[in-house]
Amino acid sequence: MSLNARNVYPYIVLVLGIASLVWAVSFGTLPPADFAFHNGDEVKTVDPSKATGQPEHRVITALFEGLYREWPFGYELDEEGNIVNYPEPDENGNYPLEAAPGVAESSDLSDDGRIYTFHLRAEAKWSDGSPFVANDFVWSWRRTLHPETASQYAYQLWYLKGAKEYTLADVKLGDPIEAELSDRPRPDQTFPRGTIRRGKLVGIARPPEPQPASDASDENQEDVDTAWKKRWVYVVEQGSEVAAFSKAEASDGWTDFVIDWLDDESRQLPATVATCLYMLPDFEATVGVKATDEHTLVVTLNNRTPFFLHLTTFYPLFPVNRQCVETHGTPAWTKPENLVCNGSYKLQFRRIRDRLRVVKNPEYWGTKQVNLETVDVLSFKSETTALNMYLTGQADWITDVPSAVIPQLMARKEGDYVPTPLLIIYFYRLNVTRAPCDDVHVRRALNMAIDKQLICDKVTQAGQKPARSLVPPGLPGYTSPQCGVFSVDAAKEELKKSKYWNQPGGIPTVEILYNTNENHRAIAEVIQQMWKNNLGIDAELKNSEWNTYLSSIHSKEYSVARAGWVPDYPDANTFIDMWITDGENNETGWSNAEYDALVQKAAEEPDADQRLRWMEQAEAILMDELPVIPIYYYVSKGMVSPRVKGFFPNIQDQHPLYWMRIEE
Amino acid sequence: MSGFASFALRRAFWIVATLWIVFTLSFILMRLVPGGPFDEERKVPEEIKRNIEARYRLDQPMYVQYGEHLWRLIWHGDFGLSYKLGDYSVNGVIAEGFPVSASLGIFAMVFAITLGTTAGVVSAVRRHSFLDNSLMTTATLGIAVPNFVLASLAIVLFVFTLKLLPAAGWGSLKQLVLPAVCLGAPYAAYIARLTRTGMLEVLGRDFVRTAYAKGLSERRVIVRHALRGALVPVVSYLGPATAGILTGSLVLESIFALPGMGSHFIEAALQRDYTMAMGMVMVYTLLLLVMNTLVDLSYAVLDPRVSIEKL
Repeated sequence: MSLNARNVYPYIVLVLGIASLVWAVSFGTLPPADFAFHNGDEVKTVDPSKATGQPEHRVITALFEGLYREWPFGYELDEEGNIVNYPEPDENGNYPLEAAPGVAESSDLSDDGRIYTFHLRAEAKWSDGSPFVANDFVWSWRRTLHPETASQYAYQLWYLKGAKEYTLADVKLGDPIEAELSDRPRPDQTFPRGTIRRGKLVGIARPPEPQPASDASDENQEDVDTAWKKRWVYVVEQGSEVAAFSKAEASDGWTDFVIDWLDDESRQLPATVATCLYMLPDFEATVGVKATDEHTLVVTLNNRTPFFLHLTTFYPLFPVNRQCVETHGTPAWTKPENLVCNGSYKLQFRRIRDRLRVVKNPEYWGTKQVNLETVDVLSFKSETTALNMYLTGQADWITDVPSAVIPQLMARKEGDYVPTPLLIIYFYRLNVTRAPCDDVHVRRALNMAIDKQLICDKVTQAGQKPARSLVPPGLPGYTSPQCGVFSVDAAKEELKKSKYWNQPGGIPTVEILYNTNENHRAIAEVIQQMWKNNLGIDAELKNSEWNTYLSSIHSKEYSVARAGWVPDYPDANTFIDMWITDGENNETGWSNAEYDALVQKAAEEPDADQRLRWMEQAEAILMDELPVIPIYYYVSKGMVSPRVKGFFPNIQDQHPLYWMRIEE
Repeated sequence: MSGFASFALRRAFWIVATLWIVFTLSFILMRLVPGGPFDEERKVPEEIKRNIEARYRLDQPMYVQYGEHLWRLIWHGDFGLSYKLGDYSVNGVIAEGFPVSASLGIFAMVFAITLGTTAGVVSAVRRHSFLDNSLMTTATLGIAVPNFVLASLAIVLFVFTLKLLPAAGWGSLKQLVLPAVCLGAPYAAYIARLTRTGMLEVLGRDFVRTAYAKGLSERRVIVRHALRGALVPVVSYLGPATAGILTGSLVLESIFALPGMGSHFIEAALQRDYTMAMGMVMVYTLLLLVMNTLVDLSYAVLDPRVSIEKL
């Protein structure tokens, strides 16, 4: 190193420093959006078939639209988007929602309640201007159901005939099948698919089943099993021809294979076996969705499903653009420059863990009714940071606030923290096969001895509402029957009727089981106190971690256990039908023949009103016998700026952007 | 220049070797942690879970996965798809996050050096004055207070009380000021103390006395003669300071909702996003090694006693 370099060095450093500083501050700036909201952590994907979760729900509902869409009951806009009618909230501050036409203009339902015929809007288009056709749904649903898509929400489509079998690749002899050959244009992409051979499955040849090793773990056993199934050879009749397919590379020895034939035992295996990637039920022949013309979609369900229209508003049932997915492949098709969508907004810009910028989609059929032009979906995790941004006007809506500051937020003079009940219930399960909860009088007494208002005011503190029914209030047309109100005297009276009253040894001790969590513990402690003070019943607390807690519940190794229920769809049925005798989520040992009959009646009832009446009668039995004690209804924890109109708090906590507008 | 060439070669070799070891250790450690990337609260049908794992080749034996990851990284410089952010490749996330973190780091570093050296020089020249005492007290405080505490105080003061700066977010210079200052402040404090000490030592030297005796102005003596010697300890501190600023930005990026690598790193680790966490670890490692090399190089240039052959 020469002295020369030493003299130049400070200047080099100075120049480099200034250059990097200039680079550091020279980032492109975005013009501010009309509206910004905090959406929680970055969405995992905007692909409707692969997403799960609330933040994803909010983004995907802006970008895509299903057959129907959620709409506040009585909210009317004219063609130009001016408000014609603005509904009034219910007594809880919530607005009822209905499934309103989206891509579909209308639908017809068959008499048996199983076949929906959707009439799509002729003016519906994709964001690239191409027309929207019924086959777009057929293709998208096929994609969601395809095993390789591995959609965690595929089961939301399993109400369709044949859908579950398609996802699980469940093929049986005699079924129409589709075999996909291994000649895909791009092997890592599920779509476009390789050559499809369709036909009837007439034979399955299986190699000898491997003997399970005695020391093999379940996991290993499954691997062995999968490898074995991969070698099966499927014989398929295609018209007059017979072909054989296997997922394994052409297998050499056949001799030890055992062949099951459909009928004719004299059949022979074809000389060659083609390699296939998938052996699935024939989608077109077996799955209940068909496009009968460009704008008509016929959907066949397994059973009467009264909430199916609501399901079509949920993103697993949304359409995606085939051209876009097949051209760019997954995940590249979701990039802002590639994405073709059909919702009220389209994706303009995305910076990970910063924001998704969406702009109004001019090709959307209802675009004139959409008020906000550009919206920033802020994606980062910290609720505290989001609250800071809301308080300083950088965000107009935040979806969750830190629990620690809720009491201060409730006292704000702006009145913009207004918790409203959600369709989620916090309750206690009572094991009716164990003393003392096997006595209905004890159960009623336990319920009436809990001051639920006190729990909401002093323990949970976020504005939760005390619950006297299992189905939270707010479902249109449904009025929940109520269980006994808090009263120490009534509870004591009830307890005196029980068989344990005046028994030697007194009333047996109960045990409250909860999964390890501060809030659950606090509530259990308060209830323990109330039962002791009001009834003289001793309760012990027991906490266990989640998996242990679950297995204790499944095996009914508890006397009282805390629980919560978040419904999959907005319908009382999801709260009611779990309590039928031996229902999968019943877990209390409770059984009532009359109740079972009412649930069955409701499932078969074609009349919508009468169906709700059956369910109300069923819940009345539940609230009288009390195998469960409802404690409180969850509440929304969002904050929205007073300048936003069309927010419509509701029990599902859904706030699509196409409702909203800004009033200066 | 042959000394420089052999220095560069030796360093390149050690950087590659370190990266490989870090890669291997991270690969093993990540898979030892209980819980996989696709364990969900909601039970997924077994068939679907298998298909998801097959898509990311998690159904392969560990050595196959290791080989594939390493091969893809060496041959294509590709970390693969993120397990958790389904729309992104790891390289895509790094490409978006790196400029943000780099901007923040550069800003913080420039702030720390400018403020630190200025305060240090002033303190040394006016030593034991009120100015010196207050500057050094502030510096001690600055080192003691963790950056997230400083950030909270700064938010209360500048965002809510004075309403001068935005609370969080990314996209304008204003939004960069608070996080960069909070990130740089402890380093400014440390640099100030180092500069002061270095300066005091140099100012007592003979050549400084000679310079004064020649009749040079105080400004000229300090800037032309004393400062260079005083800065040697500061330069050697820049290596650890870079490391500190890189890791410190993890916390500040969360507080100020900056879409930098720190936010992605934390989430990747929490969500068991193996490929993403690996990408972040490798980039951070490479960055640290390169910065250290540059600092060593500067050291050789600044201090005649240090020879590049011996580094």
